[in-house]
Amino acid sequence: MIELNELTDAAQKAFPAGALSPSRDESWGLVAEMGWLMVRLPENDGGLGLNREASTAIHFEMGRVLATTPLIPAQLGLHAVLASEMLADRADWLERISGGDYVPLHLLPTKLETAANGTISGTVGGVFDADMAAAIVVRLPSGYALIPSDAPGVSIVERPIWDPSRRLFDLVLDGYAPDPALMLCDLAGAGPLHDALAPEAHLALAADCLGAANAALDLTIEYLGMRRQFDRPIAMFQALKHRAADMKTRIAAAEALLWGRVRDEDATLTQCGAAKTLAAKAFAFVTEEAIQLHGGIGLTEEHPIHRFMKRAMLNLQLCGSSDLWNERTGREALAKLA
Amino acid sequence: MTDTPDLEALRSEVRAFLQAEAPTGWRDASRTQDDFVATQRGWFAKLVKAGYAIPHWPAQFNGGGRGLAEQKVIYEELAKADCPRLLLSFVSTYHAFATLHECASTEQQAEYLPRILEGETWCQGFSEPGAGSDLAAIKTRATREMRDGREVYVVNGQKVWSTMAQFAQKCLLLVRTSSDGVKQAGITYLLMDMDAPGVSVRPIHQIQGDEEFAEIFLDNVEIPVSRRVGEEGKGWAVAQATLASERGLTLMELSYRMRGALARAATLIREHGHEEDRGVLRDFGELVTQVDAVCAIADQFLDNRIKGIERMGDASIVKNSYSRALRAYAKLGLRVGGMAEQYIAPITFGDLNTGNWMADFMNSYAWTIAGGSEEVQRNIISERMLDMPREPKGWVI
Repeated sequence: MIELNELTDAAQKAFPAGALSPSRDESWGLVAEMGWLMVRLPENDGGLGLNREASTAIHFEMGRVLATTPLIPAQLGLHAVLASEMLADRADWLERISGGDYVPLHLLPTKLETAANGTISGTVGGVFDADMAAAIVVRLPSGYALIPSDAPGVSIVERPIWDPSRRLFDLVLDGYAPDPALMLCDLAGAGPLHDALAPEAHLALAADCLGAANAALDLTIEYLGMRRQFDRPIAMFQALKHRAADMKTRIAAAEALLWGRVRDEDATLTQCGAAKTLAAKAFAFVTEEAIQLHGGIGLTEEHPIHRFMKRAMLNLQLCGSSDLWNERTGREALAKLA
Repeated sequence: MTDTPDLEALRSEVRAFLQAEAPTGWRDASRTQDDFVATQRGWFAKLVKAGYAIPHWPAQFNGGGRGLAEQKVIYEELAKADCPRLLLSFVSTYHAFATLHECASTEQQAEYLPRILEGETWCQGFSEPGAGSDLAAIKTRATREMRDGREVYVVNGQKVWSTMAQFAQKCLLLVRTSSDGVKQAGITYLLMDMDAPGVSVRPIHQIQGDEEFAEIFLDNVEIPVSRRVGEEGKGWAVAQATLASERGLTLMELSYRMRGALARAATLIREHGHEEDRGVLRDFGELVTQVDAVCAIADQFLDNRIKGIERMGDASIVKNSYSRALRAYAKLGLRVGGMAEQYIAPITFGDLNTGNWMADFMNSYAWTIAGGSEEVQRNIISERMLDMPREPKGWVI
C-alpha cells in the first residue's frame, strides 16, 4: 500500500492537477525517466516488477490530467513483447522499450488481406501517436507481429478525433512483407495473447476514465461554488447538489468494482470488460452532467470541461462498446446462473 | 481483503454450522405475517445458541465479543447460505443494544439486555407524521408529573413507520420535553413498555400487502423517570448512538443476497424465452455489473471501517448505490415477466429479492425512502463529502 501511495504522490507531483494535457513529448520523457514505461516489467528483465495495482494507480493519475502521453498503448505493447516466446531479439526490444522507444498496441480492429505472395494490405485501426512509434504491435492474419513504422509498405495516416488530448492514427499497409524475425506469436498463439492483453487494456482504460471523471467532478464543484446567481453560489441549490452527489456515487461504485477486479487475479476478461464499461459509462455520465452544470461557459472552448467529455466519448468506444460488453456479461451470467 | 488464518477458521466454523442448521424452505413458510414471525423467532433462538446472533455484543453481555472483520465473515456466510435475515430482532440487537450499551445506566443494561437474548423484541418510536427526514421536529410531548407517588413522564402523541411494532414488547422512544431553544435541545429519550396503558398500535397496510411497519398512538402513557436514557433534554445525542448502531453489515449482507438472487432473474429470462434477446441480455448484463459494483463498494466500505479510514458520506454512497440497484433488479424482472407479473401472486415476508417482481418493485422503495431517504443521502454526500454549501436555514413566506 505504501508503494501505491508513493506512486500516486509522485504522479501528482509530476503531473499537477492544474496543468491539463501537458505537452506529449515532454510528458513522454518524464514518464520514461520515472520508470513508468517498465512498471510491470519484471525485475529480472530490468523493470520495476510492480503489480497491476501500481499500473492502475498511474493510469488513474494520467486520466486525471487528461494526459496526452500514450502510456496505455505503450504498456500493452510491452506486455505483448514480454509475453512473446517467438520474438528473435526480445531482450533487445525490452531494453529499447524501457529506454523510451514507443511500441504501442493498436486498440481498434484491423481490416487486412494477405496476398498470394504473403504480403499484407489494409488498415490497422486505433494506433495512438503512431508518429512517435518505433514499431507497432499488430494482430496480423498470421499472428501478432511488430511492424516498424518506417518499413517499406507501411504508412501512417492521422485520423483527427474530437478528443483534443490524444492523437489517433491508422496504420496503412500496402503490400507489406512481414518480417519473420518480428513475429511475436503465430496464429495459434494470437487468441491466448489477446486474452492476456485485453483484461489489462480494460483495467487501464477504466482507471483512465475514473481518474478523469474525478477531475471533471472537482472542476464542476469548484465552478458551482464560484458562480453566483440569485445572490448566492449556485452550489447552494439542492437541485444541483443532488446531481453532484449522483455523479460522485456513480464514480465511487465504478471505482470499487475496478479495484476489486484489479486485485482479483482470477478476474475474467468479461469481468474486466464489464468494469471498463461501468467506468466509461460513469465517466460519460459525469461529463455530460458537468457540461450542463457549467451552463454557457461549458460550451466555450476556453473552458476545459469539454475536453473531459470528449475523452469520455472516445474511451467508451475503445476495446469494445458498452453494448458489446453488457451483452457478453449477460450471456455469461445467464449460462452460469439459470 | 483476504482472510487471516483466524478469520478462515471462523468461516469454516460458520459454514459447518450452516450446512447442518441453515433453514430451507423458509420462504414457503413465510407467506403470512404470523408464519414469518414464527420462523424469525425460531431462527433467532438457534443463532443465539450457536453464538452468531449477536457477534457484535461484548462478552460481558453474553455476546460474541467479535470485531467487525469477524462479524463480516459471519454475515457473508449467512447471506451466501441464503438464510432468513434476522429482521424481527434487528432493532433489539442493534439499535436497542447500542443505545443501552453506550448511553444507559448499568441498572438499565442489566434489566433489558438479557431479555433480548430470550427473544424480547424492541421497536423504534422515532419518526412522526410531521417528522420524517427532519427528525428533530418531533412533537410527541412528555410532561413530568407525580402520579401515585412516583415520578413519571406523561406522554401524548403519535409515532409512525415503526418496524414491526405490533410484535414488540419494548420501544425506544423520542419525546419532546421542552419547546425552548433549538429543536434538538428539547428532546428526551425514554424506554417504553408496549403493554403500558395508553399505547395502541396499528399496523400499516403497505402497497405490496406487507405489514412491516406500524403506527403507535400514545394517549397519556406513564413512563417512570427511571426509564429515561441520559439526561432530560439530551435525547438527541442518545438518538445518534441508536442511529449509528448499524455498522454497514446490513448493506453488505443485502448486496450479497441480491447477487445470489440474480439467479431468479436468469431463470425468468429463460422461462420467457429471452435467451437470445440481445436487448434483454444487455440489460441483464448491465444489472449483473451494477450488482457486482454494489457488492464491491459495500465490501470496501466495511474494510475501510475495519481499518478506521471511513470518510463522511461513504455510507450514503453505499446506500444509494444499493437502493438504485435494487430498483433496477425489480424493474428488469417486471419487464421480462411482462403481463404475467400483473396477476397477484403470494408475497414472501422478510425478503427483498423474492421473484414476485411487482412486490419486489414496491418493496424497493423502502430502501430509497426509509433510513434516510435517497434525497437526504444526496444532501449528506454533497454537503459533507463534496463540501458544497448548505442552503440558508431561514424560510419565510
